[in-house]
Amino acid sequence: MANIKPFCMPKWGIEMTEGTIAEWMVKEGEAFAKGQLLCLIETDKITNEVEAEYDAVLKRLLTPASEEAHPVGALLAVFADADTPDAEIDAFIAAFKPAETSVAAKGGGAAPAPAPASAPAAAPATPAREPKKIVTNRAISPEALKLAEAEGVDIEPITGSGRNGRITYQDVVQALRPERAASFKGTAQLVADTPEAFASPLARRIAAQHGIALSGITGTGPRGRISKADVLALVKPTTAAPAVAFGAPFELVANEPSVQPFDKVRKVVARRLTEAKQTIPHFYLRVSASVDALMDLRKTANLVLGTKASINDYIVKAVALALVRHPDVNVQVHGDAVHSFPHADVAIAVASPKGLVTPIVRQADRMHIAQIAATTRALIDKAQAGKLGFEDMDGGTFSVSNLGMFGIEQFDAIINPPQGAILAVGGANRVAVETASGDIAFETRIQLTMSVDHRAIDGAAGAQFLQTLKGLLEAPEGLFA
Amino acid sequence: MAKMMYRDAVVSTIAEEMARDENVVCLGEDIVGGMGTPGGPEAIGGIWSTSTGLFGKFGADRVIDTPISESAIMGAAAGLALSGKRPIAELMFADFIGVSLDQIWNQLAKFRYMFGGKTKCPAVIRMAYGAGYNAAAQHSQAVHQILTGMPGLKVVMPTTPDDVKGLLRTAIRDDDPVIFLEHKALYGVKGEVSDDPDYMIPFGHARLSRAGQDVTIVSTGLLLGFCEAVADKLAAEGIGCDVIDLRTTSPLDEETILDSVEVTGRLIVVDEAPPRCSLGADICALVAEKAFASLKAPPLSVNPPHTPVPFARELETAYLPSVDKIEAAVRKVLSYR
Repeated sequence: MANIKPFCMPKWGIEMTEGTIAEWMVKEGEAFAKGQLLCLIETDKITNEVEAEYDAVLKRLLTPASEEAHPVGALLAVFADADTPDAEIDAFIAAFKPAETSVAAKGGGAAPAPAPASAPAAAPATPAREPKKIVTNRAISPEALKLAEAEGVDIEPITGSGRNGRITYQDVVQALRPERAASFKGTAQLVADTPEAFASPLARRIAAQHGIALSGITGTGPRGRISKADVLALVKPTTAAPAVAFGAPFELVANEPSVQPFDKVRKVVARRLTEAKQTIPHFYLRVSASVDALMDLRKTANLVLGTKASINDYIVKAVALALVRHPDVNVQVHGDAVHSFPHADVAIAVASPKGLVTPIVRQADRMHIAQIAATTRALIDKAQAGKLGFEDMDGGTFSVSNLGMFGIEQFDAIINPPQGAILAVGGANRVAVETASGDIAFETRIQLTMSVDHRAIDGAAGAQFLQTLKGLLEAPEGLFA
Repeated sequence: MAKMMYRDAVVSTIAEEMARDENVVCLGEDIVGGMGTPGGPEAIGGIWSTSTGLFGKFGADRVIDTPISESAIMGAAAGLALSGKRPIAELMFADFIGVSLDQIWNQLAKFRYMFGGKTKCPAVIRMAYGAGYNAAAQHSQAVHQILTGMPGLKVVMPTTPDDVKGLLRTAIRDDDPVIFLEHKALYGVKGEVSDDPDYMIPFGHARLSRAGQDVTIVSTGLLLGFCEAVADKLAAEGIGCDVIDLRTTSPLDEETILDSVEVTGRLIVVDEAPPRCSLGADICALVAEKAFASLKAPPLSVNPPHTPVPFARELETAYLPSVDKIEAAVRKVLSYR
């Protein structure tokens, strides 16, 4: 039974008690390889893909995808080697007891093994197979034997590819890898050789595809032959617009859309955004703040502190300080209850290759500006590398979204549930204002728009929070108090 | 386009070139075909019928029956080439090359180099090679890997009648010694042939006979047809094979092979010579060296075993790479995980 392993509902953070299987990517009876996507699990906070940690076969699928939530530690499926008899799987399921789960606990033996909080992949962290000593008369290379013993590979069924059937390292590696589903690209266009133009087969195919005549081309290949590169040099870039004078009559060409179906994560994100926008009663509060003092201070402070904190880092710091002064805005909404927090976990919206992500600067109110700068830099790097884990995105008491760098003056953001509010930050603009003496002067202002969940936060509470925030931004010495 | 047999493409190309250039002469064992027999010259014909009618057209000065001495044939060809003729020497069986190897390897192949480029050596050495005729171990071998490894020689292995036409003409008009390997089992194969009196296929220019994007199959000669049969079978399953007919093994069309493997990521070489130090091993090494980054599976060479060619029909069939063996190799490479 060494190779039978349970797959249980993972625990992705302190607050996670249950999860829903949104979709299985592997069917019962199918083999999967390490790194392959197994399923999509949704919690009330987040959705993520679960990757396989080893190669195996999904022998038994116990909980199909549904709306129904399953507690952390619940047995979802059983993985094993392809040749494991059903009876053994049945016995395993009958004997299975969900173990006490905690965030950092690692599984041992047959107990369910929730992934450690630092690893987003939820499959058990036990090795694929148990190491075992191999005693054999068969010819096998020393490295191959070492690998087979370490991975517990049965070498008997392996056909050795070496001389006289000797088993090589490659043979054992092949035995360890599951069969792959075949996917082939198929045949291609065969362009006949033309005696008058001496060109490589690929060059001929490319020329035919682009309607290029080969006869006039001087080849740079061996013995003056026309190579791929010679033809590619003549292929017109497809993006170049036809040289048609502006206003000249033109023929309508097909304007076909390129259809890009949502990937699985995007689907869930789309559903959640729709839900948030439709079910949360948003209202919006707008204010502008003068940031000349902040910009001056930033230069000096960054120099003194040896940091490269951005304006947005200072805004996050100001937001965090304002939040702890207004705990009625530093909230999450859970059903009929409002949870307000003593510290500010500020989520920052980051554009990443996988789409918009919102990693969290935890307890930002307790952080020094240099710490905030370092934390946000690290989160942005992780986001852009597509490496953000659940622990980076789970929770949050407030969000900040900044599109100022794109020249956006102001915008309205959608609340990121269960948080109670989100601040949309626009770009800095030079604006003419009336001075105390009645003259006109220019100053730099940014527009702030806060989207608020009216179920939890009233207009006055939100307004007071923004007043404090504006004060902190306009008198930034307060950020260092 | 005329339709003709592989052997007729040989003889008609020689005849056309002899008519075009009086320096072109033929020599070999029994190429007149019947000299000294009661019926007289040409009464019987050469054993491969690849010189039929030449004697009648061009006479004894230009179509020379030689004694049974391969060394003498090659030595005479070398001398003719050095003195301004364009000899086409026939070695009845490629297996006999050992007897004449010094003339080919140390003389013909070296002249231009050792004379500092001051002389040319425009000789063509034609020879029939290959298994499949129950001709036993001394009359069935493929010898291209020996000759391909010799600097100074060009090695041609045509597969179709049209390629015979285009490549033999290029060989005759080439100023360097060219080994022209004709597969015995292909002599009777018919195909369309170009009528152009100057039709030439440049050396080092492979032919793509099937186009696909999943696996590259490189071969030439008799086995190319087996590869095409495999490609056609797999195409029906949605698996695309690039089948490359090398045409010449020296110079080698490296570019066509690498261009293809960069798309497919998989390589099979099907070679009629035994596996060690073979054309298959050479091309696998080339691809491992220069297209490693594109490979999805180890390159694989399909060769006969490391044994002499057997005489018994069943054993000879088992010896040669077959359609089934090639298909199995392709599937093995495709299933690499």
